[in-house]
Amino acid sequence: MIEMVRRYLRQKYGSPGFLIALGTLALIETFFFAMGSGERFAIVQVAILVLAAGSVSRDVSSGALQMILSRPIRRTEYLFGRYVGILASYGLFLAVTSGLIFLVVHLAKVNAREDASPLSLALLAGEAFANGAFQAAILLMFSTFLPGIADLLGLLVLYVVLHLPPGKSAWLRDAADAARENLLPQVSWNEALRGDGILGSATGRWVFALTVYLVLAAVIFSRRELPYGQD
Amino acid sequence: MIAVQGVSKTFGHFGARRVQALDAVSLGVRRGETLGLIGPNGAGKTTLLSCLLGFLRPDRGAITVDGKPPDDLSVRARTGYLPERLGFDRDLPGGAFLAFHWRLAGGARSRAKAEVEAAADRVGLERPALARPLRGYSRGMLQRIGLAQALFRDPELLFLDEPASGTDPRGVALVRERILEAKARGATIVLNSHQLAEVEKVCDRVVFIESGRLTQSETLRGDQATRRRGLVRVPAAGLAAATAALSREGFEPTADPYGSLRFPVGSDDEMARAIRALALAEIPVYEAKASADLEELFSGRGGP
Repeated sequence: MIEMVRRYLRQKYGSPGFLIALGTLALIETFFFAMGSGERFAIVQVAILVLAAGSVSRDVSSGALQMILSRPIRRTEYLFGRYVGILASYGLFLAVTSGLIFLVVHLAKVNAREDASPLSLALLAGEAFANGAFQAAILLMFSTFLPGIADLLGLLVLYVVLHLPPGKSAWLRDAADAARENLLPQVSWNEALRGDGILGSATGRWVFALTVYLVLAAVIFSRRELPYGQD
Repeated sequence: MIAVQGVSKTFGHFGARRVQALDAVSLGVRRGETLGLIGPNGAGKTTLLSCLLGFLRPDRGAITVDGKPPDDLSVRARTGYLPERLGFDRDLPGGAFLAFHWRLAGGARSRAKAEVEAAADRVGLERPALARPLRGYSRGMLQRIGLAQALFRDPELLFLDEPASGTDPRGVALVRERILEAKARGATIVLNSHQLAEVEKVCDRVVFIESGRLTQSETLRGDQATRRRGLVRVPAAGLAAATAALSREGFEPTADPYGSLRFPVGSDDEMARAIRALALAEIPVYEAKASADLEELFSGRGGP
């Protein structure tokens, strides 16, 4: 699995296009943070979409996956290597962005905010990481069977469907609430990372949903066929 | 070693644009044998190769390698595979690509650098090219580096899909040498190629696949050879006399407009008998050879 993680990091951080995109996101986040405006660490969370989109499907269409799987590598090893690779590259990005913000706010003394302490920044990064890990699991699941970056569309559709007005019927409303709470659970990570409610029901639902997406990804991927031509 | 029994594969669903890629294909490949898959474009050769590698699951039938499914990890640990098109991370330097595959193949990390350089040397890839990203590689260079990774750790099983495609004549010869080397050390090889002359030079047997069906199997080497064609080239003026001389010896020659006669021969001795018959009839022989003549096999079936 470690080879898959290394490859993912190399793919993302060895590509000028990805570096430019991630660098731009980090600079925009730093600018808004230093100016004291906007949602905290909202912009950097776009990076998970950049890093995770098409993570499996691109390897399928290029034929790279077929070459990898001709080796003694389990499909799950590849798949979870991709997932850990996404998390590693996102974690690295968050660490670099947090460091950049710290430097700009403290060393350059640009409009220092109260929440720019190392602990606050670490908590914000942790919150962004947890949200990113969840979205990455959904993207990975869609990427195992959708082509190109259609996994982004799948993620969007999932969010839209689970946030549709449920109608007037009470049971429909209850069902929609239950689906939303269990498939897209909201966790107050800032509090949870401080130790408040870390073992609460919201965190439990989050862990359960994340596991469901990853297991679904593994099941779909292990059954999927990998053609690269119909000759 | 490889057993394919009644394998069928269809692409497409619900009746729309359904393509029967393979239709009840059965064949066996013996240990140490080199099998060529030949047939026109779209015949199902790559689909068969994908099934043999376990990338596709047959709708019907079964494939086993030494009694195990083709995607069994113990089978894959002994497998080398070169796809027709090398699709990989374009920003990755060639050396890193080879090192990645060396490690995936179970090679020791400490030996990666030396093995990568040795592999590059084996396929005639210059050392400086290893530092360059794959995006800057020509088609021929991609084929060479693809072959290099396929040959890591001397695999017992080699699946090669158009290995010499896009390479220059030197590259074609180099690919042939590497295949013959693998064959000499006892590897079992399945080769899919349109380069019939190369197939003829390295394969022990060929199977002809057409519209997803295995329509013909010919053994090219040894006492069991089923397909040997004699070819002699004589002056155009002597064509009729040469035809008559060969017919008297029991051969069944057919003439082409360029002064050549082709006829089935059972062995090298029979070929020698044909040449002697022409010499006794005082017909000059410009060229004579016995080969499988796969082109002729193709020509009656729509060509490559």
